[in-house]
Amino acid sequence: MIWAVALALGTVIAAGTYLLLSRDLLRCLIGLVLFGNGINLLLFTGGRLTSSLPPIIDAGETALAVTANPLPQALVLTAIVISFALMCFSLVLALQIIQLAGSDDVARLRASEPPSQDGIKPALEEPS
Amino acid sequence: MLLSSGRIPAWKPTANPILGEPVSSITRDNHRRGCNPGLLLALVPAVLLALLMAALYVVPLPWRLTWPWVPSLGVEFALYVDGLSAQFLLLITGIGTMVFVYGAGYLAENPRRNRVFVLLLLFMAAMIGAVGSDNLLLLFVFWELTTVLSFLLIGVDHDQQASRKSAQQALLVTGSGGLFLLAGIILLGQIGGSYSLQTLLTQAPLLQEDSRLKAALTLIFIGAFCKSAQFPFHFWLPNAMSAPTPVSAYLHSATMVKLGIYLLARLDAAFSDLLFWQYALISTGTFTAVIAAIQTIRERDLKRILAWSTVATLGTLTMLIGLPGNSAALAVAVLFFAHALYKAPLFFVAGNLDHGVGTRAIDKLTGMRRYMPWTAIVALLAALSMAGLPLTFGFIAKGAIVHAKEQVDALQLVSYAAMFVNGVSVAVAAIAAIHIFWGRDRSPRQVQPHEVPVTMLLPPLILVVLGLLFGLVPTLVDPALGAAVHAMSPGFDITTVSESYEFLAVVKAMLGAILLGCVILLSWNRLDLLLRRVHRLHKIGPEAWYWRSLEFLPLLAARQTRLLQHGRLPYYLLTMIGAATLLILILLLAARPDWNWPDLQTLNAPVFGASLLIAAGALVAMFVRDHLVLLLVSGLVGYGCAVLFLFTGAPDVAFTQFAVETIFVVVVAAVLLRLRRTPLDMRAVSTEARLRPLALAVAIVFGASLTALVLLMSGLPFDSVLADFYGEQCL
Repeated sequence: MIWAVALALGTVIAAGTYLLLSRDLLRCLIGLVLFGNGINLLLFTGGRLTSSLPPIIDAGETALAVTANPLPQALVLTAIVISFALMCFSLVLALQIIQLAGSDDVARLRASEPPSQDGIKPALEEPS
Repeated sequence: MLLSSGRIPAWKPTANPILGEPVSSITRDNHRRGCNPGLLLALVPAVLLALLMAALYVVPLPWRLTWPWVPSLGVEFALYVDGLSAQFLLLITGIGTMVFVYGAGYLAENPRRNRVFVLLLLFMAAMIGAVGSDNLLLLFVFWELTTVLSFLLIGVDHDQQASRKSAQQALLVTGSGGLFLLAGIILLGQIGGSYSLQTLLTQAPLLQEDSRLKAALTLIFIGAFCKSAQFPFHFWLPNAMSAPTPVSAYLHSATMVKLGIYLLARLDAAFSDLLFWQYALISTGTFTAVIAAIQTIRERDLKRILAWSTVATLGTLTMLIGLPGNSAALAVAVLFFAHALYKAPLFFVAGNLDHGVGTRAIDKLTGMRRYMPWTAIVALLAALSMAGLPLTFGFIAKGAIVHAKEQVDALQLVSYAAMFVNGVSVAVAAIAAIHIFWGRDRSPRQVQPHEVPVTMLLPPLILVVLGLLFGLVPTLVDPALGAAVHAMSPGFDITTVSESYEFLAVVKAMLGAILLGCVILLSWNRLDLLLRRVHRLHKIGPEAWYWRSLEFLPLLAARQTRLLQHGRLPYYLLTMIGAATLLILILLLAARPDWNWPDLQTLNAPVFGASLLIAAGALVAMFVRDHLVLLLVSGLVGYGCAVLFLFTGAPDVAFTQFAVETIFVVVVAAVLLRLRRTPLDMRAVSTEARLRPLALAVAIVFGASLTALVLLMSGLPFDSVLADFYGEQCL
């Protein structure tokens, strides 16, 4: 079982990485989403896939019986929500940048770090 | 008052008062005629000196004082004063008193004088701490404090570029030397198991057996050589002469530059019989003395001449510490004292000339005796001691040195070098005393030179008179010198300094030096011209390397910045992911003996299906071009994850993932629709063709290494303590 999950995880991470290295801003973002999914899986499998019973304490009991590990679940749950918020924000930001710059090519989005003019240090202001 | 002509100041008024440091802006307001803090502040070292002398008479050495400082590291604020420290303390407070009195006159019109005085006081405290501390780490702290204060004092005229550059040079050279020293101290502490100097000294035989000792000593040598201006770190000292004269006399002749010598003398008791110790110190000291003597001849500025001759003396001191034997220790102690007593007055003379004539160039200074009779007397008396003529303290120092060399039959080469250095120092003495003050004043002058006020005459006069007194009645200094020698070579007790050498041998050496000195003096200009011809040598000297590296550093920084901060996103990411991959792989390979691959268990159909969904979605996503399809495929991966969560005991996580994934796809679809309507200059290519193979390789290696990480992790025993804790506590 762990082999299947681990290979899937590796594939997602690899795909995410490859997309992140693209020059297309939107592909980068989708890559980031995949990357995040892969890391969530990593966190989740870190707690071991021991049981398929949800960690719910039965009525009348005071302690957890043998169930799935609840700790990584809590972490992953938080991570999912946070990465969703981050993605939505990044998307809006990307949209704005693309509309302002007129390009979705990351190689052309260099307002903050313009290519150096004198060959030594970046120019202080963007030549307009 | 005396600077009414206004042409002569040895300093310039602040060019930019706004940029003046806080201290200077405060002091400027305080600056009033008639209120001179120098004389008042001179009371501090004077009282300390009096207390010290009284204590030396009452309480027998050594003194010990210990407070806990960093108990967790076993570092104590430990003070320990023995004969050697006491000698230094006497010099620091004694010369300090003279410097403050002199400064009161010299800096009277200087708007930054209060700053100089405050820094000098701090410096004095740091010096006292440095020579009084028993703990090596404590000594290091005070050592670095003197470095920083020296930087501030050299750069006191910070509106002048030369001043700033000299200050920076002194800081860089002595400061980086300090780092070497720290490394050496730590290594020595590791070897000896203690940072206490006294403990280390008693363990000397044990230390000498350790193979790391040479490395530790080499590091300490570098630190001490930087501080005490030994070759190849000697060049900063003459440049430091851009400081005001009281500073030069105090820091860069009498006290601070001797701190390195002090440390070496301290350790001499433990290591003087090591051949490594002897060779390193004798060769460095001798070479430094010769180089400095040659450089002396090339100078035309009196203060720089004195600075180079100070470097020569420091070299001689280093060489003497390297010489084995008790008489060498005696020579070190005597030369310490004698040098302070004649060199400080000579610096004061240079300052007086600056003040009274407005120049220190020896070509423009002749026959000054007529205008500055008292300064001429001071110069003459100091020069007598420097040349080592009989009845002066310098003569006794020379005697001790000659005796020390006879005792160990030093190398012939060292003797010749010493003779040359002595000859040059006689020539320097003659220039300071005779060339400048006697003869006829032929230089055209707009302003009549004048004598300096009494505050600038009294301190050097007192020092040279003391030098004469000690020369006539050496028994006066016997107790102090005896204690110092005892600290450097335990078990050796001298009774009288003056009887420890043969009079005739010294006179012979002295006559030789005077003869050579006269030759050098007469051919000074010709030698200068000759040396100018071999000026090329300078381009390979250590100072040239210093400037070269100073120019090289910003270039290197720019290159490196351009290399790392190129502004291209894919390459940034590639660097980061590549580094992370490398780190994971290294850690995985390091744990190779514990590798335990998990077994292929029975297939759990839903989990397998979910994994297949995830992997398929991811693979397709890599090769899809259209944004909308890409989005849907990525949604597939998200749903796959949700299914996986659902069948591994996390239904709540699964439902969250379902919800989030659905909303996300909707949001992105909305953004994509907006984007479709935005006209773009240029559509981006998916991945740069050049980068594609590399990106693919990095992605695959990164994914594979994470897969391996997960697999190997699952083979390790699971520590469920955290999960159990939450399992028990959540109700």
